[in-house]
Amino acid sequence: MKILAVVRQVPDAEENVRIIEGRVDLASSKLVLDTMDEYGIEEALRLRERTSEVEIVALAVGSARSEEALRTALALGSDRAILVESSEPLDVIAVSSIVAQVAQSESVNLIFCGGQQADWDSQALGAAVAERLKWPQATWVTSLTVDGDRISGKHDVDEGTETFALSLPAVITTQQGLNEPRYPTLPNIMKARKKELTRKKLIEFGTSPRVTPVGSSIQIKERLRKMLDGKDAPAAAGQLVDLLRSEARVIA
Amino acid sequence: MTATENTQFELSADQQSMRELAVSFGREQIEPYALKWDEDKYFPVDVIKSAAALGMGGICVADDVGGSNLSRLDAVLIYDGLAAACPSTAAYFSVHNMVAWAIDRFGNEEQRKRFLPKLCSLETLGAYCLSEPGSGSDAAALSTRAANEDDSYVLNGVKQFISGAGAADVYIVMARTSEPGPKGISAFLVEKGTQGLSFGPCEKKMGWHSQPTRQVILEDVRVPAANLLGPLGTGFKIAMSALDGGRLNIAACSLGGARAAVAKATAYMRERKAFGKPLTDFQALQFRLADMATELEVAETFLWKAAAALDAKAPKAPVLCAMAKRFVTDAGFNIANDALQLLGGYGYLADYGVEKIVRDLRVHQILEGTNEIMRVIIARSLIAQ
Ligand SMILES: Cc1cc2nc3c(=O)[nH]c(=O)nc-3n(C[C@H](O)[C@H](O)[C@H](O)COP(=O)(O)OP(=O)(O)OC[C@H]3O[C@@H](n4cnc5c(N)ncnc54)[C@H](O)[C@@H]3O)c2cc1C
Ligand SMILES: Cc1cc2nc3c(=O)[nH]c(=O)nc-3n(C[C@H](O)[C@H](O)[C@H](O)COP(=O)(O)OP(=O)(O)OC[C@H]3O[C@@H](n4cnc5c(N)ncnc54)[C@H](O)[C@@H]3O)c2cc1C
Repeated sequence: MKILAVVRQVPDAEENVRIIEGRVDLASSKLVLDTMDEYGIEEALRLRERTSEVEIVALAVGSARSEEALRTALALGSDRAILVESSEPLDVIAVSSIVAQVAQSESVNLIFCGGQQADWDSQALGAAVAERLKWPQATWVTSLTVDGDRISGKHDVDEGTETFALSLPAVITTQQGLNEPRYPTLPNIMKARKKELTRKKLIEFGTSPRVTPVGSSIQIKERLRKMLDGKDAPAAAGQLVDLLRSEARVIA
Repeated sequence: MTATENTQFELSADQQSMRELAVSFGREQIEPYALKWDEDKYFPVDVIKSAAALGMGGICVADDVGGSNLSRLDAVLIYDGLAAACPSTAAYFSVHNMVAWAIDRFGNEEQRKRFLPKLCSLETLGAYCLSEPGSGSDAAALSTRAANEDDSYVLNGVKQFISGAGAADVYIVMARTSEPGPKGISAFLVEKGTQGLSFGPCEKKMGWHSQPTRQVILEDVRVPAANLLGPLGTGFKIAMSALDGGRLNIAACSLGGARAAVAKATAYMRERKAFGKPLTDFQALQFRLADMATELEVAETFLWKAAAALDAKAPKAPVLCAMAKRFVTDAGFNIANDALQLLGGYGYLADYGVEKIVRDLRVHQILEGTNEIMRVIIARSLIAQ
């Protein structure tokens, strides 16, 4: 079986980002592999540990820096990687065309992609790829079993949780709860550098962005810098609850 | 960013990834609990063991026995990353790895195969026993004896201040097998559970609360001759060469701790107001922060240089390691102490995490050879030339 794990690079949620002219300045930001995509890599690794003859190909479509995300995917254990380099931002539908073409030329049986992008929140990629390939898809999967060319599992739907069964080839989108992604190992970080990483140009896919980003307005949340006087503990707790409710709006 | 292996003052992409791995592991598995471990004096053996899956049980050990086979420079980056979460826990990794490295470097094949796979997988933990109640800085004056009897050695003596003692499974014990002075010392591998091996109570100390420090008491401890590490009479040499790497590692632990303190102080200064403006608006405090950041960079760059020299087996490496240990641990402590000052009264409170860093980093100026002894080593090399 051949698995395609689609990965993206996103700003590290643990770090600060700079906003320049209304946009997140990616050049100065620390970028990491999207956690959502880590679930896909991890699931592919687990399938390979259980079944023989599984090859895992990691695919990234994006800037040259996406190589870092692919190296992480390789360090985690993917067998090889493909980087489709694009200097301009691509919308999800354009990306789906590339993913579908790679899936076909590589003759993969199973595609993993994140249920949602950590940065722009789009959930469309998995569905768009499945549509292009006319493959079945299961989205927001939380557990998965593969038996020959049958896969079954559980996933979240609007009404709750549903169990599903479908046959390969298929597209699976992942989410938190599917597994607990491992850390790469130190020796594998070194070995990742020696694994095959194929670079392809956007032009080879006859795809161009159909949506042009014009501008964005980014909500910058300043901290309130409020300190509560804790001498009267019950009063301080009351004030804290008020602030969490009215200012931070994290509780109802 | 592309690989920068060829520029001298930049890390390679792999090295950056290794440091990031250590930082994320620390951030996710250590930092959330570090203050609690400190308060409870809890040695987080489970978390330490879980790092084996990342290859942190035998960082500089060869791969045929499960090691990660990395360089000293790589190792420094890893301890730095871990120490940003908790210097004390990171320092235990350094102790364990020093033991594993010494067995890999000086052990015979049988010993390597017997001890290293389990040390690398962290199924067993290591401890390094050089200091004694009567000899610390003057380690060559140690008095623990190992008497040869038939095919075994019988060890008697007390080892003082042993990190990980009691919890550790494999103890490298330096003991006297013949004449006074360094040439009469040999190194032995003693396993926990050996008859006659016991431990003193946990020392009550200023910092390093996430790892035990205890006496190791040897009363007629009989070990087979097969547990002699390296040739007879080379124990002091083994102990000292293990310390070259150990000194880099402990310096790296100071660096990571200081880095975390600077980050905490900077974040605090942005939020704290005095005299109607944030602390970041006071030039006196800006300058202090600028000096701290500069010291940190200088310490880091020099530590990398010393590590690279040890990797290259440069003749000057031991002196550079001593210089790095002295400079980086002093700088690290001062930076952390300055960070504490920037937090005002809150810096003195445990909840803010900075006073713990100060307490943890203080001992790095004392152990693995005091910073005075580092000066002795450096001066001796200058005068001898
Ligand atoms: C928390 C902790 C953990 C430790 N872990 C370990 C461990 O795992 N294994 C191990 O073997 N040891 C360990 N040690 C011991 C440590 O290495 C010693 O404490 C250190 O080497 C100093 O020895 P000492 O305490 O006997 O001080 P002394 O040697 O008594 O020194 C006292 C003072 O005199 C100074 N001094 C001594 N000689 C000279 C000189 N010639 N010139 C100038 N100044 C001098 C010293 O710098 C120091 O300031 C640990 C210590 C601590 C506190
Ligand atoms: C254990 C303990 C006991 C205490 N006991 C008492 C007590 O009994 N009664 C009492 O009233 N208080 C007490 N205090 C409070 C203590 O006096 C304050 O912590 C101290 O005055 C500093 O104030 P702060 O902590 O709010 O720091 P901040 O005022 O927030 O200062 C933070 C940092 O900014 C620096 N800074 C502030 N303004 C400037 C400036 N204009 N220029 C340059 N640098 C500046 C400070 O020097 C400090 O380094 C105690 C504190 C502690 C830790």
